[in-house]
Amino acid sequence: MDLGKQFAEVIETSNSEFLAQCYELDGVPALGSLVKTRSRDCEIYALVYASGTHSIEPGRRIVARGQGATSPADVFKANPQLAKLLCSDFRALVVGHDRGGVMRQYLPPSPAGIYAFVYSCKPEEVRIFTGSLDFLSLLIDSRLPVATDEVIAAFLRLASLTHQAPQEFLIKAGQGLAWLLSNDIRRLDSILKRLRI
Amino acid sequence: MTLDITQVYSQIEAMAGDIKSRRADYVRRLDVALNTLKTAGSAQDKLKKKIDRARTTWLVAGLREPIGLKQPAAKCPDDYAVVASDGSQIDVDRHHSVRLFLLNIGLVCLQYGSRPEAEFTTLPTLYSDEERLFIRSDDGKQAQIEGPLLGLKRDIEECRCLADRVCAMPAAMPVVGLIDGTLIKWKLAGQRYEDFVVKHLLDEGLLKQLDRFQVLSREKKAAVASYISFPGSADVVNALRLHLCPYEPVDCDKYCAGKFEGRACDAVGGLADRDIFRRLLSDGERSAVFCSNSSIIKRYGSHKVCFFYLRLDDEVARVEAPLWVADSSELLETVHALVAEQCRKGFGYPVALSEAHEQAVVSGADRAQFWDVVERVMLEGNLETGSSLKQRSKKIRWI
Repeated sequence: MDLGKQFAEVIETSNSEFLAQCYELDGVPALGSLVKTRSRDCEIYALVYASGTHSIEPGRRIVARGQGATSPADVFKANPQLAKLLCSDFRALVVGHDRGGVMRQYLPPSPAGIYAFVYSCKPEEVRIFTGSLDFLSLLIDSRLPVATDEVIAAFLRLASLTHQAPQEFLIKAGQGLAWLLSNDIRRLDSILKRLRI
Repeated sequence: MTLDITQVYSQIEAMAGDIKSRRADYVRRLDVALNTLKTAGSAQDKLKKKIDRARTTWLVAGLREPIGLKQPAAKCPDDYAVVASDGSQIDVDRHHSVRLFLLNIGLVCLQYGSRPEAEFTTLPTLYSDEERLFIRSDDGKQAQIEGPLLGLKRDIEECRCLADRVCAMPAAMPVVGLIDGTLIKWKLAGQRYEDFVVKHLLDEGLLKQLDRFQVLSREKKAAVASYISFPGSADVVNALRLHLCPYEPVDCDKYCAGKFEGRACDAVGGLADRDIFRRLLSDGERSAVFCSNSSIIKRYGSHKVCFFYLRLDDEVARVEAPLWVADSSELLETVHALVAEQCRKGFGYPVALSEAHEQAVVSGADRAQFWDVVERVMLEGNLETGSSLKQRSKKIRWI
């Protein structure tokens, strides 16, 4: 496995998605980023569909502290404990796996391991992963607690930048979406409108 | 059946009505107290002598500075640190067959300035061997550490962990070590505990740790203080009572035995020090430094406890420090400035203490899990794990 930057750890896991906590506050990847981690028998690829920063303890509410400060960085400087009391995490939808060097764009046999390290994917990996668009059906059919179409569009926009001809990639992706959403023109239109770079 | 709040409701209403009816009286007493503070201030030397010669039934603050002093906080140093410790415990449970107790000390080090940093530590320690479950005297006496004695033991461990951490701080950085609650171990006064217990907990416990701070303060700007939120003490009010007393020397038992009202000093009775200083001080200001005259303080030597009141946004806190801190204007100023700033950052309560508490706290669920683990490990070792039938009946709430 060609490792990118290790930046988070899986803290909740299932076959279809995982929750990962970032090592750095506000160190969450962009919406639609492709990330990778490991299960006991393969490398897992997943799409970031939600992220945020919150109190480590559910019962402790974050309160505003910046009145009179010139920047949020000043708030952290004046209250060094905050970095220890807050955490950033993200949820990622599993969209494929690599077993024995063969990329498969469907769910892996086992979920990502708990505490498995999460790595960012290099542009080359994203380009290779999006060489096939079979994973689009997984995305279209997923029922995420956020607007799924936003995640699909964000991912395709980011992925297009790793290709030599981004526009051609987006046209190809649009064609794939048109086939999958032939019975839902309104939704197709909504995603296509969001594909403009 | 749990508490039937509907039955208590009317009693709560009656209580609130009673407090309301006494409100006007409270305001009148407070006005008298503030006027007395002024007159006492202009005759401070006389009052000081009166306090020294008085025989009272209550604690009277010793005067070190003008009684009505209002001192604004100095600016905090550019770089400084605040270290705080707090603790919680799982007490000996006589319904379990294993005799043990657990202390969980939370330690927080916050560094401010050019290199802001935070360090959180939790130090849980299990005490289960006979040697550490008892305090023993050389002549074969022993006292089991549990209940109130365990509370005192915890205070000392908090202070020890705090001293360890403060000693490890870089020399160039001003640092204040903060403890929650009072430094005055008044529970050890009187006949309640035998001398070997007092010696163990105070002379070889708290005071030994305070010695470490004092030694450190000679090498660098390091102080120790304790913080009491919403204090109920009335040492300064009692000094005002002496000022109002017509007898010289004051002798409560001789002149006022059996009287609880109608005395000249009752004009300020029922007030707490915080009531006076809430009216007198502005935000961030401290009162004069006073010294405690609690009987246990006689054992404290150079660590004799001094205190001042600090007005914060919406309350008055009491800050206690050993005499060697109060005697150094530099250390006193640092304690005042840093504690006031900590309260400002912590919305009225020192942020380092608040986080130390969060590190130390043992919840009901933690307690249950602790005892489950103890029983499981005992079972794995084929050891007896009996608990009392009362304990079992609490777990299984049958009908």
